[in-house]
Amino acid sequence: MQLYDPTSSGAERHLSRAAALASLDGKTIGILENGKLNAVEMLHEIADLFVQRNGCVIRAVYSKSNASAPAPSETLAQAAAEVDFLITGLGD
Amino acid sequence: MPLDLNRIHNVPDDLLAAIDYCYEQGWTDGLPVIPPAVDRVYAMLAYEGRPPEAVIATHPATGLQLTVHAAAVNAVMAGCLPEYFPVLIAAFEAMDKPGFNFHGSTASTGGSAPLLIVSGPYADAIGMNADVNLFGPGNRANATIGRATRLILRNVFQMIPGISDKSTQGNPGKYSFCIAERARDNPWPLLCETQNYPEGVSSVTVFAGGGFCNVENHGGNTPEQILGSVADAMANEGCITLGQSVVILAPEHMRIVADAGWTRQHAQDFLFSQAKRSVEEMTRVGKFRDIEYDKQHGADAHPLAEIGYLHRGLTPDDILITMGGGDAGGHSCFIPSWSRGRGSIMQHKPIGVCIDCN
Repeated sequence: MQLYDPTSSGAERHLSRAAALASLDGKTIGILENGKLNAVEMLHEIADLFVQRNGCVIRAVYSKSNASAPAPSETLAQAAAEVDFLITGLGD
Repeated sequence: MPLDLNRIHNVPDDLLAAIDYCYEQGWTDGLPVIPPAVDRVYAMLAYEGRPPEAVIATHPATGLQLTVHAAAVNAVMAGCLPEYFPVLIAAFEAMDKPGFNFHGSTASTGGSAPLLIVSGPYADAIGMNADVNLFGPGNRANATIGRATRLILRNVFQMIPGISDKSTQGNPGKYSFCIAERARDNPWPLLCETQNYPEGVSSVTVFAGGGFCNVENHGGNTPEQILGSVADAMANEGCITLGQSVVILAPEHMRIVADAGWTRQHAQDFLFSQAKRSVEEMTRVGKFRDIEYDKQHGADAHPLAEIGYLHRGLTPDDILITMGGGDAGGHSCFIPSWSRGRGSIMQHKPIGVCIDCN
């Protein structure tokens, strides 16, 4: 008996990670918050640690209108142009 | 990269062993599946005009794609007959609209399931159930179209429970959640008509349903009493959010509402105005958020949004109401949206025809 495989037969998308920063010292931080309760507060707490320990600067806060959808590509493009690294997270 | 539509698994010519093989591959929802033998897949494909490699839906985060071929394989596994296939295709075309956000509504702790509501003559043509035991078992089309939806989410989009499907509790609709709108004795225009499809064209509406709430009322005999019960269910403190709603009125309840001359819009306005909780009540249970209240009462506020209250949804049009179920019984239902709000907005598509495609 011959069975067809039911998993995705579509084209695969190849993803890769960005290169790591050589150092965090003095870098600019962006925060991407997702609108969930306390998200901004928690992400700021994390960013403040980098400010204290590495002399980073919080440059911008970006928002998503839908926590469960990917960030709009314009938002990511803007962040990539404005900051050295981005802090985000998902939780309740 | 060329599509590989011919990934064949050669298994012993033993049906029970093939069923076990499907289990071993992790291809099932926990229940046995029909082994997707090639001839059955070909029969399914005959009901779709586009080539097998045509892409129906794409996962926004992983890029995984649902082709016509993969849909057919999973439809076979779910037990669909070939004539059901156009409904499944239309459902995923609707779910692929960004507003539906099928990734989020499937991955979320909220545990929603795509509810499919088939409207129009195609439901009868393939023998769907719009009547007794509407949401229950017993009808092949309802059961297997809904099941195929889940199998595609699992097998094609890899929304695996515990890995990429993080539902806290899930809900029984995640096995199958598919109904037909009842046309017989329905006093209101069918959904496919209100969706402005040409006469005779059926549609499927998809809604990320967060569960099922039975609304019992055998004593009420006015629209206000019947719909008041529904509104109370919609506004319970566990369910109320800015999200959308689906309300399926039992024929007994629908007769009371429609015989009093109420239109669908009238009923939607009533439910929206009554399904509400005060700011104090929302605060008492820890669910009040300024941002949500402001969204409902800002510059674009609907005139029926009452100051000092949080209503369910943003406008009366956020409440889909239609009729379904058996003739006997004062049991309607309210189906809440996924989780806390408007992360998924219901969508619809025509079945078996191309109206707005390029």
